[in-house]
Amino acid sequence: MKKVWKFLGSMQFAIILLVVLILACAGGSFIPQGHSYEQYAELYSERTAGLILGLGLDDVFHAWWFLLITAFLCGNLLLCNLIRLPQLLRRSKQADDPAHLGAPCVELEGIRDPEPIFARLHMPKARETTDEAGRPLRISVQNRVGLWGAWACHLGILLLILGFALGQMTKEEYTVYGVPGEIKQIGETSYFVKIHDFRVDRSESGFVEQYTTSLTVIDNADENDPMSVDAVASVNHPGSAFGFKLYQNSMGDAAKLTVRKDGKLLQESWACAGDSVPILETPLSLRLQSVLREEAEEERNPTGYAYMIFVGEEFYTMNVQGPGESIPELGPNYEVSFSEAQSYTLLQIKRDRFTPLAFAGGLVTLLGLLLAFYLQVRKLWAVQNEDGTWTIRGSSPKGGALYADRVKEAAASS
Amino acid sequence: MTNLLNIENTLFYIVICLYFAAMIFYFLFIALKKDGVAKLAAIIQAVGLLLHTAALICRGIGAGRLPMTNQYEFATSFAWGLCLVSLIFIARFKFPVIGAFAAPVILLLIGYAAMQSKEVKELMPSLRSSWLGFHVSTAIIAYGSFGVSFVLGIIFLLREKMQDKGFWDRHVPAREKLDLISYRSVCLGLLFLTVTIVTGAIWAEQAWGSYWSWDPKETWSLVTWLVYAVYLHLRIRRDWKGKAAAIFAVAGFVCVMFTYIGVNTFLPGIHSYA
Repeated sequence: MKKVWKFLGSMQFAIILLVVLILACAGGSFIPQGHSYEQYAELYSERTAGLILGLGLDDVFHAWWFLLITAFLCGNLLLCNLIRLPQLLRRSKQADDPAHLGAPCVELEGIRDPEPIFARLHMPKARETTDEAGRPLRISVQNRVGLWGAWACHLGILLLILGFALGQMTKEEYTVYGVPGEIKQIGETSYFVKIHDFRVDRSESGFVEQYTTSLTVIDNADENDPMSVDAVASVNHPGSAFGFKLYQNSMGDAAKLTVRKDGKLLQESWACAGDSVPILETPLSLRLQSVLREEAEEERNPTGYAYMIFVGEEFYTMNVQGPGESIPELGPNYEVSFSEAQSYTLLQIKRDRFTPLAFAGGLVTLLGLLLAFYLQVRKLWAVQNEDGTWTIRGSSPKGGALYADRVKEAAASS
Repeated sequence: MTNLLNIENTLFYIVICLYFAAMIFYFLFIALKKDGVAKLAAIIQAVGLLLHTAALICRGIGAGRLPMTNQYEFATSFAWGLCLVSLIFIARFKFPVIGAFAAPVILLLIGYAAMQSKEVKELMPSLRSSWLGFHVSTAIIAYGSFGVSFVLGIIFLLREKMQDKGFWDRHVPAREKLDLISYRSVCLGLLFLTVTIVTGAIWAEQAWGSYWSWDPKETWSLVTWLVYAVYLHLRIRRDWKGKAAAIFAVAGFVCVMFTYIGVNTFLPGIHSYA
């Protein structure tokens, strides 16, 4: 059993997992994700399509085996860090212990005074002691904190994966769209969004620079005492309220749909492009496809409204309604028209409490890499010989020959 | 503004000529075995880098934004990054042979840039972010560093096959040192790639509401990160140093190039502009 635990926390297992992850990620990027059997059969062959669906290759990054590999990687990182913690504490404590100096990568003999070399290499104050033969020994250890680099990096990756996984499991995600003046419920929560304004900023050449929605989020949990928070959401600058983040996601055409029957107003509502609006007292629904405009004309001055009519779920017909005209397909009793064209705003609303954990993981990973790569442990020690000269030795597990060169250069220029 | 873009255009072609001249002088250095030629090559490359920097600044001011938002701009910046990192390594390790192998890669990259559209387009709202500079500039340094590790890997593999041992012993560090320099460039690249991924995630969270979407560019950045993570682990676990590490460094850069060019060509996603 001990062997199994040791293997699960081993570097060998980590390498296997990393290679499998590389293959899985590459596969997931080459195979189109989320397609149906028919689409895969058309792209490849029926046999390959069956294989893709059977192995979960149509949704690689959420497949059970991909999650299992990730879980194993987390286990590996955790075990590795647990196993290495006491070793690192010991190594950190024993860094300047004469019995644990390790194999030197450089050795210089006949040095009259080691101090200038230590100073030139910016070594911290040396510990003065004696070696096993009782000779004076000076030991200096640089970047002791660098020992913790890989450990911190592993911890960071672990936090990152945990933050991501917990976020995926617990996050709430909603989409709300509408035109200024509308109040929309956020999913089935007690929260509502009141859209005050939607603005599209354009450059002089007409290119869109920014989309901005001004809104109020209302918490209606207590109907007698609703609370509200004003927010502004624009691209790259999400708004926030009640723990939700509100992202300016998209926009599209919208128009007011008015239905009159025998001259009497039957219904009046906003229709956003792509939405089907059921016509009261009929089996029909009307879908605004787009608002037609000529480029030179102002936004609120459309040349027509493209629409589709459905009977139940079945497509019935499509047509274009000109300004001031009525949609004829519903019969002479009905007067149906689109008007007041404008843009609707689409907001993505999210609540993910674990995003900060994932970002903290990313930063710890970065810190770990910085420690591991740029604060490498270096040891320099000098032992005094019987003739009064000193022998200097140095070691740097990751610097090796390059550190040896630096020590030699320091000695030559001292 | 148009004037500045015209200046950038002129500078761009001068830079290509300078990088080409530097490459020729580096080749002459190897052929003639004269140190003075290597110095001249490095000076030409450094002048090329300065003018390249000026070209990027002109484009930045002319376009009114950071010049890092389309294929042309990223390719020319990538060449700039590789040129910068290779010059740093040449100076730091007194190793001009790097230039002879880096110069053709720089020329290929800037040649690729020359084939792209240079049109200055206005930025879509999601690209109008202060994270753009951090995210792309760190990617340029990361890719440049991996480019240097690729060059060092090739030098390592060629070193043993070279007939004139005297020249190679004098101008190319010993195997162990060469391996360590390559390791250093991978470390620099991995550190900057991590910054690229982290800053990209923070930016994606603000722009798209999701810090990780398994978009092909994101996925392949992760694949590149994992490949170099395997490299680092193999160095420790199996003592994969020397030749094996050199082959790995070359293979790793193939992965970098796929992330940069291959993904845009074969796997379109939300990073289609990059």
